[in-house]
Amino acid sequence: MTSPPDHTALLEARALCFLRQDEPVFGPIDFALRGGEIALVEGDNGSGKTTLMRVLTGMLRPGEGEVLLDGAPFSLDTVAGAVVFLGHHLGLKFDMTPRENLRLAAGLYGVRSGTDENAVLREVGLAGYEDEPVRQLSAGQKKRAALARLLLLPARVWLLDEPYANLDRDGIALVNRLLDQHAARGGAALVTSHGAVSFAGGEPRRIRLHA
Amino acid sequence: MANWVPLWLHRLGSPPVFYRFAGAVRPWAFGLALLLGAVALYGGLVVAPADYQQGDAYRIIFIHVPSAWMSLFIYGVMAVAAFIGLVWRIKIAEVVAMESAPVGAAFTLITLVTGSLWGKPMWGTWWTWDARLTSELVLLFIYLGIVGLYHSFEDRRQGARAAAFLVLVGAVNVPIVHFSVNWWNTLHQGSTIRLLGPSHIEASMLWPLLTMMLATKCYYIASLFARVRADLIASEGGKAWVRDIALGQPGNDPA
Amino acid sequence: MTPGSTPAACAALLRRDLTLAWRRRGDIAMPVLYAVIVTTLFPFAIGPEPALLARIAGGVVFVIVLLAILLSLDHLFRGDIEDGSMELLMLAPQPLALLVAMKILAHWITSSLPLIVVAPVLASMLKLPPEAMPVLVIALLLSTPLLCLLGAVLVALTAGSRRSGMLLALMLLPLCVPVVIFAAGALAAAQEGLPWVAPIAWLGAGLAMALVLAPLACAAALRIAMDT
Repeated sequence: MTSPPDHTALLEARALCFLRQDEPVFGPIDFALRGGEIALVEGDNGSGKTTLMRVLTGMLRPGEGEVLLDGAPFSLDTVAGAVVFLGHHLGLKFDMTPRENLRLAAGLYGVRSGTDENAVLREVGLAGYEDEPVRQLSAGQKKRAALARLLLLPARVWLLDEPYANLDRDGIALVNRLLDQHAARGGAALVTSHGAVSFAGGEPRRIRLHA
Repeated sequence: MANWVPLWLHRLGSPPVFYRFAGAVRPWAFGLALLLGAVALYGGLVVAPADYQQGDAYRIIFIHVPSAWMSLFIYGVMAVAAFIGLVWRIKIAEVVAMESAPVGAAFTLITLVTGSLWGKPMWGTWWTWDARLTSELVLLFIYLGIVGLYHSFEDRRQGARAAAFLVLVGAVNVPIVHFSVNWWNTLHQGSTIRLLGPSHIEASMLWPLLTMMLATKCYYIASLFARVRADLIASEGGKAWVRDIALGQPGNDPA
Repeated sequence: MTPGSTPAACAALLRRDLTLAWRRRGDIAMPVLYAVIVTTLFPFAIGPEPALLARIAGGVVFVIVLLAILLSLDHLFRGDIEDGSMELLMLAPQPLALLVAMKILAHWITSSLPLIVVAPVLASMLKLPPEAMPVLVIALLLSTPLLCLLGAVLVALTAGSRRSGMLLALMLLPLCVPVVIFAAGALAAAQEGLPWVAPIAWLGAGLAMALVLAPLACAAALRIAMDT
């Protein structure tokens, strides 16, 4: 565990598989994501993309294999805010404004240096909607409010489950831009999608799941 | 030293092995339960003398007392199995804990019904807020909560884990309930009569009681194993070993 | 307070839950309304003789408060699980047990505190003697957090299940027997002019134990519930 950090993968899966009722859902899969790398998880419906994400967050226990974060075994007790997860449920309180929602996340995880709530909301195109209840935003705007959280928090690993859903062309470009910025800062991200993705940084890594 | 014991236990943790083991043990346990139960009933109803105070009415203790013991004993077994299942994630332990609960609930219900039947001639009422009866009633509710929680989940494993957790919460709580009910009972001194003084029970009454206790234990094992076998068949439905049984092919080792 | 530190996280979560409760003030009023309505039913059911009412007042108020808390418990974690906020809490750097404790505290403030405020009114509707009122309030102050803590563990267990209303009652009520016994026992003792400190002390001991153990148990139960 004393190897210098730039040689250690940020997020690594070793022979990872998940069993439901003793039947394998996916795997075994191996991958290692270093800082600055973005990987795209591909697979048909039912191939276990969402399940893989939940295993990587530590919320589901892998059937076999292990997940390493910075080279150390990863669990919910050791994660220490290094990972954020954005799934189908956005984790927004509809009775509160985007700003209030961000304030909770900031209170829990801290704030990435050099940014603040107003800046990230502007970045995702929600300027002028900061103090509207999330309930009154459109589906795409809700998604943007959740994406603002990714920008605000200092987490190094992003796990994004279908981030492109509900987004228009500009929104898709926004997600790609955010991912590029994150990679440029040395973060890693794992993204599931069944849509076409293009990054400024070239082709992403691909991890394929078979049903 | 004896390395084969943990090894054997480890093998028993595998569903097909446990299925065959339970299948082999079950008829013996059931037969023994019938035999011991018949002997105990004969001893209790025919051989043992009538009580000088209560006449023949006391004879219900040969059902009541062993059931009451079993209601607590099964909770103990369930708590141990639940703990093992939660900590080491052993499927068989979860199944044993979950399938123990209905049997325990049944014994608790028998205890309550026989206690109430006994109460009518002794106390002149079907129900009295006696500390022990009340604790037993609370225990029945806890058993039913465990069964209810187990069956309210889509996913059996998840239901078993949640209910096993409730078993442990209950295990912490049952002694507290018992203590508080005792305290409450002394606060509201009713017409409680202490009926059973086990210290001066006569030998001719004691041996049928102990025999019945063994009979209920054997019945528990038989009933539990039958339930566990059914549960395993249901939850392992897609597995090769279940298919072999369903198609009538003997398993690869005739343990 | 630097963002991300443990006090800041607790404050942020507490503030969020209280804000949410305030935005749905109607939900706060429901348990209180329920308690008032059930209390008014009692004299209709058993007759308005003051002596009889005074005799049962303490017990009735405790059982009504227990049931009102039970009704409010169901959505303690449900909202967070359904909208994905629970993932945010579970992946946060702070121990889940601590965050859960904050949620339970917020829930106690919004559900039980109003009940404690109206409880003396309910008790005087049932002719509880005024000298027993302080004991009623003390017993409620100790027993309601205990009920919320116990209930939270069970709500967390049912969070992953299909139906939970009646099931929660079936699971929680037997575990509440000691709380009801000691709380109502203290009040009964006070009404009869007997020393009432012992049952109150037992409640306090129970609360101290639950404060330590229940959030841990609750966090473990939530992990089972999220494991779908």
